[in-house]
Formats: sequence, C-alpha cells, structure tokens
Amino acid sequence: MIWRFGLFESTFAPLVSTHWALCIALGFPFLMGLLAALFPPKRMWPVALACLPVLASGWVLLSAYDQAGLLRWQWDVAGVSLSLRLNGLSVLLLLTTQWIGVAAALYTPGSLRLSEPQPLSRWLWPLMGVLLSALSLIWLASDLLTLYVALELMGLSAVGMLLLSGKVAALLAGMRYLLLALVGSLAYLLGVALILGHWGRLDLQGLAAVVEPGPVAWIAAALIGAGLALKAALFPMHGWLSPVHGNAWTPVSALHAALVIKASLFMLLQLWSILLPDTFYAPRVIALLGMLAIVWGGLLAWRTDSLKTLVASSTVAQLGYLMVVFPLLLGPDIAPLPRALAWEGFWLQLIGHAFAKAAMFMAAGNLILATGESTLKGLAGTSRRLPLSLLIFGVASVTLMGLPPSSGFTAKWLLLEAMLISQQWWAVAALLTGTLLTAAYVFRMFRYSFDDSAPRHHYQPLAPGMDLIALSLALTAFGLGLLAHFTLALMRGGGV
Amino acid sequence: MIASFDALEILLALGLTVTALACLFDRHLVRACCFFVAFALAMTLAWWQLGAPWLAAVELLLGAVLTGLCFFYALGRFFPGVSSSLERDSFNEPWSRSFARLLLALAWFVMVGAAIRYVITDMVYSPDEQPLLLAGVMITASALGAFALHRHLLRRLLAFNILGSGVFMLLAGVAGTSASAQALITVGLCIAWLGSMLGALLIRQLLHLEGVDALGRDGNPKENAT
Repeated sequence: MIWRFGLFESTFAPLVSTHWALCIALGFPFLMGLLAALFPPKRMWPVALACLPVLASGWVLLSAYDQAGLLRWQWDVAGVSLSLRLNGLSVLLLLTTQWIGVAAALYTPGSLRLSEPQPLSRWLWPLMGVLLSALSLIWLASDLLTLYVALELMGLSAVGMLLLSGKVAALLAGMRYLLLALVGSLAYLLGVALILGHWGRLDLQGLAAVVEPGPVAWIAAALIGAGLALKAALFPMHGWLSPVHGNAWTPVSALHAALVIKASLFMLLQLWSILLPDTFYAPRVIALLGMLAIVWGGLLAWRTDSLKTLVASSTVAQLGYLMVVFPLLLGPDIAPLPRALAWEGFWLQLIGHAFAKAAMFMAAGNLILATGESTLKGLAGTSRRLPLSLLIFGVASVTLMGLPPSSGFTAKWLLLEAMLISQQWWAVAALLTGTLLTAAYVFRMFRYSFDDSAPRHHYQPLAPGMDLIALSLALTAFGLGLLAHFTLALMRGGGV
Repeated sequence: MIASFDALEILLALGLTVTALACLFDRHLVRACCFFVAFALAMTLAWWQLGAPWLAAVELLLGAVLTGLCFFYALGRFFPGVSSSLERDSFNEPWSRSFARLLLALAWFVMVGAAIRYVITDMVYSPDEQPLLLAGVMITASALGAFALHRHLLRRLLAFNILGSGVFMLLAGVAGTSASAQALITVGLCIAWLGSMLGALLIRQLLHLEGVDALGRDGNPKENAT
C-alpha cells in the first residue's frame, strides 16, 4: 500500500519548469482569489483568463510525471522539514481539483448575478482560492505538519464559504460545522502528537519505515480516524452535512461535496495504510459503517422533500461505497490482484463521484434558481421548460447509479471483481442494494419533474454557460468510464 | 533549586486546571470569559516554564489578547447599545444527558491517559513528575465533556479553545518542545484563533438576526440525537 501512495525515493530531481508549475498550482488560485476580491468579476471571461495558468500548471505537472516518474521536493525551515511528492495518484487528484475548481469558478459570476445581491459575495473569491490551494497541497503533501496546515486551511475556508449566504439556518448549520471541524482537527492533532512523541518524526516516508503495530499506533490511528471521519461526513457523523448544503450557494456546495469531503477521506486512507497495515478489525468496522451508510443515505435521499437534501444525502450513500472497500485495501490476506482492482476502483469511484456530484449540485442549483422552489414538488412541469438542466441531472445520476458506460459503472465493475475474487459477499450485497436505492431516489425526482398537471409559473432564465458548465462536468464523469485506461494507468503508480 | 522548580510547575498545573474548570462551568458568561483570559495567561507562563519562549509569545498574543477580544466582542461588550448583550446562560439539561456526557469524558480521560502512559514509558528519559502533562489530560477530558454537554454556542466555543490548549499541552508533554512540535502548536494556535474569530462573528450575526434564543439551541432540536 505504501508504494501506491508514492512514499519512496524518487529517481530524478524535478526540473526548473516543474518547480514553476508547482508554485503556480499551489499559489495561483489563492492570488487570483485575492485579486477577484478587490475587483469582483461580473462576467465569465476574466475568470476563464485567470484559470488558464492553473490548468497549464496541471498539464506541465502531468507531463513531468509522465517523463520522470515520482518527483519529490523537500525543504528545511528552521529545523522543520517539509516535503511534497508527486505520484500518479496525486497528479490525477490535482487535475480533478483544478478542473472542478475552474468549473465552479466559471459558474459563479452567472449564479451571483442572477440571485439577489449579497453584501458578502466578494468574499467568495478569496475563500475559493484558499480552498483550491489547500486541496492541491493536501494531494501533494507527504508530512504530517503540511497535511495539518492544509487540512485546517481547507476546513476554515470551506466553513467560511458555506456561511456566506447569511441566512439564519445557514449560520446555525455553519456554526455547528465549524465547531465539529475544529474539534475533529484537534483529535487529528492529538494523534499526530502521539506519533511524534513515540517515533519522533513527521515525514510519512520515514514513518512508514519505522511504524510497528502496537497500542500507540492503534490509539493514534483511532484519534486520527475519528477526526477525519468527522470532517469527511462518514456515516455515523454525517448529521451536519445536509443542513450545511441546504442553504449554501450552488458553486460552494459543488466544491464541498465534490472535493472537500474527499480530501479527508484521502488522508484517512493514506495515514491508516501507514499506521494500520494488514489489520483485521478497523477496516471491517469502517466497511460495516459503510454498508449502513449506503442504506441510510439512500433512504434519506428517497424520503426527502427538498432537492438539495436529496443530493447531499446521496453523498452520504456514495461515500458508503468507498468505505466498503476499506477491508480490501487495508485488510490482511488479500491477494495482490483483488487489492490492485480495489485500489483502482476506489479512486475511479471517488473521481467519478466528484465530477458527477459537482454537476448534480449545479443542475439542482439551476433548477432551483429557475423555478424559485427548492422542493421536489416545485419541480413539476420542468421537463418541458428546462429539459437541459434535467438532462444534466440525468447524466450525472447515470454515473451515481453505475449504469454503463459511465465511470461509476467501470469503478463498480472493478470493485465487484475484487469483491468476488476475495469472496466478500456482504460487500457485493451492499453494492447492489446501493444501486437499487440510487435508482429509487433518482426516479422519484424525475417522476415529479415529468408531472405536467401543475400550473405554469414564471421561470427565471439562466445566464449563458451555466448549463454548459454543468453539462461538461456531467459528461466528464460519464466519459471517464470510456477513457478509464488513462486514469487507471496513472493510478497504477509504477510506469504509465 | 529543582524542588522549587517542581513547586512552580505544580502551582502552574493547579492554576491551569482551576481556571479551565471555572471557565467551562461558570454560569456567568462574562466571568467565564475573564477566566479564559486568566487561563491563557497561565498557559503563557507554562510555555515559558517548558522552555518555549516563542510559544509563550504566540500564546500571549493569539490566545490571551486576540482570542479574548473575540470573546468579549461576541458578548457585545464593545458596542453595548447595538444589540442585546449576553449575561448568563442556564443549565436545564436532563440528568440522563449530563450523565452520558460525564461517562464520555471519563472514557476519554482513561483512553488518553493510557495512551500517554504507553508513550512516556517507551521514551528514553523517565519523567518522575509531569504535573503539566497531568493537567493537560485533566483539561482535555473536562473540556470535551463540557463541549458535549453545553448547547450554548459561546460555551461550546470556549470549551473548544480550552480543549485546544489542553491538546497542545499534551503534545508538548508527549513530544517535547522540538522544532516540529513547536511548529505544530503554532499552527494549532493560529487555527484556534481564526476559528474563534469566525465563531464570534457568527454569534454576533445570529444575535443580530434572531436574538438570544438562537444561541441556546445548536441547530435543529430534532437533529440533536447524536
């Protein structure tokens, strides 16, 4: 598991152009966010112009990895060593972050222009910039201090963004999220303290070499796991998720559900693969909770009346699929083939869900903005007047349901294969139940939208491009299934 | 010399624990905030005592001054006329809930104590007396209990800050005051301050929009099953 995360020595030193690309990938979103706070963009093209260097830096980093394999950076600042690494998985997650971030940024001017004017809206830009920079740092960081800094920056900026809508419900939900996120990070910090006290180092590569199973590793893993699970909204601690999304702005919800939650999950898997290699019980507990999450999240999404709660609850269920894979990734006595399949399926599912969920939130935001109603019943008659938004919602749900040829299908195919080889029948059952429940709540939403008997009311026209951005995200999630060999080659870690 | 050193440390540990408990459980909110500032000053002394002057400076600036200002701002002490200011809150929790939270705090106490016991015995030096570490365990346990028990948002923010200081104290006790540990604690202090500032702004905004009642319930009462 360790080599898959790229925690080994690199062969080549990074080139100068790669250094520049790294600086731009990490710093540019933040700088552009500050600039946008001073001069808030009203149109899409200045945002697009500002996003070009970020996308270019991602491209340069991808080609650098293609040529040189794993790359490492290390600095010593006042006796503290900080290190970054770039392997196939981090490149992939970095590109995902950049594309979804750019899509959300492009979506924002139109969405802000159409909703009622807000005094705080200019603060969205710097917070979004900090969020994207912190996320990029999380995928690259390979020591616990950098991870902690990035995690905290990401958490605080995410809370700030969710609060901007300024309604009382949003403030209450946001305050709760703030307190839980802060306490979660303290649990993480306590785990790190135990690690630092016992093994005296913070770099992941060195820790992977010296950590041995024992009470300290178990307690540290439990503390870190509890803190990160709280931030990732893993099943029993998902209560804060739906209220937070219910009142947030659309691009904020899209970024949060697609990326912020995944970052905590990524850290959890990475740190547990160092602290708890080949343990039996801890991954089983996560998997059991994941099965409950699939059922409970699906039921919540099926029973709800609000469109945003439906999308948010479906996130809880979709995270359940990822949790169910934990025993295959971390458990003992798993043959190499199912482990490799589970690894590829896990990340493909995560990335596919990120694109699909961002598209789904944008489609839901478009529907809510156009109809002015946030309930499912308010969607009546939209099939005639807003077919494109519904189509985007449909394409995104195809990925969530795992119908071919979407990335959800490819990911679930890989996961099913791994589960069948290692004979984990309960996981297979959970996967199939989840698919049925997803179909149930998606079709329930469509049933309301095809109801033509409703009285016609006025629809707010959308800004140009808002549908196109969401559509391109949904089609990316769809197309990743057909072009899965690119992503899988990157994820295999070794050579392309 | 060593004996006097130890006495000072024990005195500090006692002071920390007492101010923390007073801050967590005093019903009068202004007094609780004053106790918080006293606690932060005691933490400053403790960092100095542990041989980390940099941390002492950061704690004094961020912990005592800036976070203290955040709390008094949230209480409405700066602009008394603008909106209603807060005085005190009441505990009207059912006994079952309080008992469950007490059990939670005790379980936490036992777990962290056991972990630290394990780490400390494995380390090269053998500390005979570590009153500050003990104080850290006590403070984290009681702060976690208070965080779970209280529903008032300002109290939860206070409990989070105390919990943070306790965790930093544990970190310094377990890992020493090496450069990495100091860096971690500095980052933690900055984050705690930013979080407190965000929380204070939120509390003011909620008071402005909804009045004092909004702070008593944390979110929707239905969702408070956890």
